[in-house]
Amino acid sequence: MGAMSVRTLLFGLLAASAAASCALTRPPPSFTQPAPGAPAPSGSAQPVPGTGAPGPAQATPVPPEHPATPPRQFHLGTAATALVAQAHTEAAGGDYGQAAATLERALRIEPDNPLLWIELGRVRLGENNPTQADALARKALSLAIGDAAAQASAWHLIADALKARGRNAEAADAERRAQGLAAH
Amino acid sequence: MLLIAAAAVLALGGYLFYLDRLVTHQFEGRRWTLPAQVYAAPLELYAGAPLTAALFEAELRRLHYRRADAPEQPGTYRVSGDHLTLALRPARFADETRAAQRLEVTLGPKGIEGLHDAAGRELPVLRLEPLLIGSIFPSHGEDRIVVTPAEVPPLLPAALKAIEDRKFDTHHGIDPLGMLRAAWVNVRAGQIEQGGSTLTQQLVRSYFLSSRQTFSRKLREAAMAMALDAHFTKADLMNAYINEIFLGQDGDRAIHGFGLASQFYFGKPLAELELPEVALLVAIVRGPSYYDPRRHPERARARRDLVLKVLAEQHVVTAAEASAAARRPLGVSVRPSGAYYPAYLDFVRRTLRRDYREEDLTQAGLAVYTSLDPRAQGEAEAALDRELARLDRLHKGGTQPLEGAVVVTTPPSGEVIAIVGGREVGYDGFDRALDAHRSMGSLVKPFIYLTALESGRYTAATVVQDAPVDVKLVNGRHWKPENFTRQVYGPVPVVRALSESLNLATVGVGLDLGLPKVAQTLTRFGLTTPPAQVPAMLLGAVDVTPLEAAQLFNGLANGGFKSPLRAVRAVISHDGRALKAFPLEVTPIATPENIYQLDRMLVAVMEHGTGRPARALLPPDLVVAGKSGTSSDYRDSWFAGFSGSHLAVVWVGYDDNAPTGLTGSAGALPVWAHVMANLGARSWEVAMPETLAEVHLEFASGLRALPGCADDLVAVAVPAGTVLPGKPGCGFPEGAGAAASTPPSPSLKARAEEWLKRIVH
Repeated sequence: MGAMSVRTLLFGLLAASAAASCALTRPPPSFTQPAPGAPAPSGSAQPVPGTGAPGPAQATPVPPEHPATPPRQFHLGTAATALVAQAHTEAAGGDYGQAAATLERALRIEPDNPLLWIELGRVRLGENNPTQADALARKALSLAIGDAAAQASAWHLIADALKARGRNAEAADAERRAQGLAAH
Repeated sequence: MLLIAAAAVLALGGYLFYLDRLVTHQFEGRRWTLPAQVYAAPLELYAGAPLTAALFEAELRRLHYRRADAPEQPGTYRVSGDHLTLALRPARFADETRAAQRLEVTLGPKGIEGLHDAAGRELPVLRLEPLLIGSIFPSHGEDRIVVTPAEVPPLLPAALKAIEDRKFDTHHGIDPLGMLRAAWVNVRAGQIEQGGSTLTQQLVRSYFLSSRQTFSRKLREAAMAMALDAHFTKADLMNAYINEIFLGQDGDRAIHGFGLASQFYFGKPLAELELPEVALLVAIVRGPSYYDPRRHPERARARRDLVLKVLAEQHVVTAAEASAAARRPLGVSVRPSGAYYPAYLDFVRRTLRRDYREEDLTQAGLAVYTSLDPRAQGEAEAALDRELARLDRLHKGGTQPLEGAVVVTTPPSGEVIAIVGGREVGYDGFDRALDAHRSMGSLVKPFIYLTALESGRYTAATVVQDAPVDVKLVNGRHWKPENFTRQVYGPVPVVRALSESLNLATVGVGLDLGLPKVAQTLTRFGLTTPPAQVPAMLLGAVDVTPLEAAQLFNGLANGGFKSPLRAVRAVISHDGRALKAFPLEVTPIATPENIYQLDRMLVAVMEHGTGRPARALLPPDLVVAGKSGTSSDYRDSWFAGFSGSHLAVVWVGYDDNAPTGLTGSAGALPVWAHVMANLGARSWEVAMPETLAEVHLEFASGLRALPGCADDLVAVAVPAGTVLPGKPGCGFPEGAGAAASTPPSPSLKARAEEWLKRIVH
């Protein structure tokens, strides 16, 4: 599926969302719901205000009740920011193993933050492990739903990993996806 | 005569020369065999960490920090209101050595709000030192932690001299008067009352000699002690003694040296011991078994108090200090540290044996850093112990105690954070988590339905037939499985078939997909032995260990990515070099879309199906996903499930494979729910992939419905645009395109026959 169709679909779902919004007896899992018991790490994603679903639209035969994830933007919490900075220093000094270990520390604090998975993928690419870089980027992509910027970074990483494996045509395709998302 | 005498003198001289060479040589090049020390995961402290004051203090107590009014000495802390001041010990991590330092922590109702150092600078993130959880000691059993003189409290050598060897500083290795005095006392008492050996002699005996008590050995010991004394400084000998001497036994494991003894009896570094504790260790020297403070606390206490009295008489401490110390309890930890987590250490050992020789592990002084979470481990042990005791009381007919195993992981990292291998957690025996190969029962069903989603012909809303199955096997027999209720449910949506663990519907789907496809899915997720492709495989006639089950479900909990389960993070050499790391690796094994659809159904299991009894035991808002498993004749009771932060797999059954009468929901589920509830887990709340849509179905029929127009609704995810028949009265076009999303369903018999044809030909 191309970038265009993903976006088209996203808009379609957003549009359809207004058609039915209802309360449940038990709320289904949704990431806008705060985690009970534990405060969410400061780096978790926040919905971006003012970008809600546009006005009502005619739904396809059987419209979904819930929209796709609203747009949001991931950022790193204080602890993860410090650890990423440390990992950058370590990687710049050529110590990729240590940089990866430091990023794993950050991931234990914010396991659902796609930005950290991308950072780890960059380290793996740096030590010439494009297979892991690609897999880590895809993990990031699966977490970055709703965050076009994070998705673009993940596609950039996928493109670079594919290039490193000599798969240039696929790399160009990934790069186009990244640019499409960034433009958006 | 003279010749004989001269020859004797020469021979003796030669022998003494030989002993001298032997002693100096061996002692000069002495290297204690240093078992690898194994550490738990260090606790990360940062603003936002969900660590309340109570939890924080529990962690500090686990590391044997103690409260103090002025926390100056490392290993002490002070709590005042929402503020905690901490004197951190020096610590070694896999990637960093850190000096002792002061830490100021601000705590709020939800956890840590701020961290500052002594100068008031903000710290973004900092680790507590890792808990020592054990060591990998050799088969002859000598375990020790070597300490340098700087790590020894000055009181210890002073007390050892006062009690064991008052002339240590001045004698030449032996103390003839002391020996005579001891001999006289022993003759009068008719038994050994006094040792009379100097510390040097005790060192020789432990280091060079067997423990046979013969006269010639005594002479040899004396000669060697004199040789040692002539060649080495008193400080050297004292340090050797402190590291060498035997101080206790723990099963196969011999506790050597005061460094390990301090951890073994008190759970803290030797440097932090105070007078009553030092006195107890010195008391134990004389008879580690006879004065074992855990088995014979009165005896140990009497001798400790005697030691304190002598220390005061010898002016090592004041009389007031001695009597204050004598009023203190023994202070020995309930369980010896290092024997806490045999099942986890077993997994660590097996991992390391792939890369290291036995000698490296038991002698080379490696430091092994693991992902064990002591809190999760404790919760898992307690939950299993409590629930099995309860189940045993309910099922009094059982002739043997129920057994069980628990594995807990953090899915994205693939790290195993807790393993319980059986009820008797301190017992280093059969490790069920790693070695019990048991039928996975209905734990197989999620993998059948994932295969169904991947075929593109099924969704959570697809209506399938729960109808009698009769498969003629190759051997001519008929296989006629039944539902657990022995009822037949007719047409049911996939989400209900999985939630209620309906055997007949699942077998129908599995036969439609084909056994090879289902087997491939299991292999992809980490099943190591390819399952026998017989129809009973669809009901879980596949043997797995609890650890393997955790590997399989970890892929479901991790969004379709496989992370090989691991316990070891890094191995560091004795001189601090990083030897080996076991880094995080991920492999995509299913699309996020298919996994999301399946995981939403596993959430439905907890809300509508066999996982429902857990609801009462879990925090009301915690969203979890899971699946029960019951093998045939109730021999195995399983539950595997995950939250947004943890995966736990629980197995309950009898060791001899006798039926338990327990379903997965009755046996393993309560254990699982208690573990999950007490871990501080986060909700499962994954963002829905953009190509999916969430819809509500009537649970019983699978018809599309909305809140208010049907009683029992279940929310599922289906590919966007899937056309579903609506429930009459819910405002949907009735029966619209009902066939568009459901595959044509030939009769089960026809499907079974077709499948048989495929595998036979």
